[in-house]
Amino acid sequence: MSPGTYAVLALVLVLLVVHVSWTAGRLDRLHARVDAAWAALDAALVRRAAAARAAVQHLPARAPQTAALEQAAAAALQGGPVEREGVENDLSAALRAALPLLPEDGSAAVRAELRTAATRVALARSFHNSAVADSRVLRGRRLVRLLHLAGHRVLPQHFDMDDDVDQALRSAG
Amino acid sequence: MRIGLVCPYTWDVPGGVQAHVRDLAENLLALGHDVSVLTPVDEPHAPDLPPWVVPAGRAVPVPYNGSVARLCFGPLSLARTRRWLRDGRFDVLHLHEPTVPSVSMLAMWTARGAIVATFHTAMSRSRVLQVFATVLQPGLEKLTGRIAVSAAARRVIMEHLGGDAVLIPNGVQVSRFAGARPLPLAGPQPTVVFLGRVDEPRKGLAVLLEALPELVRLVPDVRLLVAGPGDGEAVRAQLPRELRARVELLGLVAEADKASVYASADVYCAPNTHGESFGIVLLEAMATGTPVVASDLEAFRRVLEDGRAGVLVGVRDAAALAAGLGALLQDPARRAALVEQGRRVADGYDWSTVTQAVVEVYETVVAPTPVEVDEPATEDDPGALRRLLAQLTGRVPT
Repeated sequence: MSPGTYAVLALVLVLLVVHVSWTAGRLDRLHARVDAAWAALDAALVRRAAAARAAVQHLPARAPQTAALEQAAAAALQGGPVEREGVENDLSAALRAALPLLPEDGSAAVRAELRTAATRVALARSFHNSAVADSRVLRGRRLVRLLHLAGHRVLPQHFDMDDDVDQALRSAG
Repeated sequence: MRIGLVCPYTWDVPGGVQAHVRDLAENLLALGHDVSVLTPVDEPHAPDLPPWVVPAGRAVPVPYNGSVARLCFGPLSLARTRRWLRDGRFDVLHLHEPTVPSVSMLAMWTARGAIVATFHTAMSRSRVLQVFATVLQPGLEKLTGRIAVSAAARRVIMEHLGGDAVLIPNGVQVSRFAGARPLPLAGPQPTVVFLGRVDEPRKGLAVLLEALPELVRLVPDVRLLVAGPGDGEAVRAQLPRELRARVELLGLVAEADKASVYASADVYCAPNTHGESFGIVLLEAMATGTPVVASDLEAFRRVLEDGRAGVLVGVRDAAALAAGLGALLQDPARRAALVEQGRRVADGYDWSTVTQAVVEVYETVVAPTPVEVDEPATEDDPGALRRLLAQLTGRVPT
């Protein structure tokens, strides 16, 4: 091979190495974004569970919905990644069932906190799932899989849950 | 919070995105936040430039999305963007239209941290986005929170860029419009107002002018006020001679006088043909207390609540437009009912509500450390190359 061919090969190699390094940087950044987004979502879910537990005090003590909400809030506050989606779905359902029982008087603060907490969950979940989607697109690229650029990081998962308690909050005032 | 806003379009040229950024900045300041806006500015020494605006250089006109966008891109703008980011130490960086080649995109490429982006555009098939999605992706990956101002804009994001965005509609500063006085030149004749660039086809002035002869037949003393930049004489030349006296061309109207223009109208007309992501002009008219006749575009239908808060007519349908305007001008009771509905709708989009929603987004993405700048490699810090060598040798980059 002529020296010219070697030069071209060397240039291609350098460009490839730069590209790989740049992709690895992108992956790192995306992983950091997923971690931060999950932390925000986790905090939002905890805040919602705490708001639900606070709402229990204002509900009629004997209603079955009250006991169900208390139980669902306690389960959500217990945390742990296991079955998190299911636990949060149960809390959404319990909130929807219990909110119409909230008395008109004296529950404005509880209602406002529940509404804010529910909004935060929806926002944090949207941002988390966008981060996961971006991350999964890059992780699916041939180059990334071939060179194991993601290392030992597990593939991030979407957090799917039913977070629609807004409707119940609005009809409850 | 320390908030850095970036507006990609020239600050001193009127436009929807500029107005949105200005109103957002003023409302955030009123809530006690620290706000700085980086944007291209034509007249950096103009006395009315707010102190919180940081000029990023002059912009050059480029045709984009059926109109002329003035964009700002280059080494000087990049250097100013870096300096602004470094000096600002923002808790949150909020970019507007980061897919437009201007300072928002430069900031997206150079910043690291809590970055929110608002997407305003709602082209159903944006060729620019389709072609450049791959090129843009590494930059868009850095956005931690995405906001769309309309359902249509959100769909563009989901189709072309992947991922999701939260929907926060545009705001209208109701207090600026409610109770505005009509212009001195407004007379007792029934008046229709059009507001927008006269030479921008998608704003639809041509459809309104086509409807004018029929409208004059229905309402003989009707008058048309046209407010907006562009070649007014060319517009006048298109009109039949006998109709020229009925059309008053006001030219570019100062932002402060817009409310008075709406207030001078018995009916506000928005004959737009396409490309509207959100009906902010309709909301402004409604906040002023002026009933609206608008094209049946998705964005307008949403704001007008399927016709409950305003009259919708077929897009590019001059006959229907004339009929709709004529009927409303002749029916004071219907106008009064629409004014009331319009005020109710506008209140729901007041900036106080919208700003609160945006702050909730900031609070969701805010990180313990402020937004940083990706520095270019220097002799002291070989940057990318050093990190690469570290990776290849298995060492953790420092």
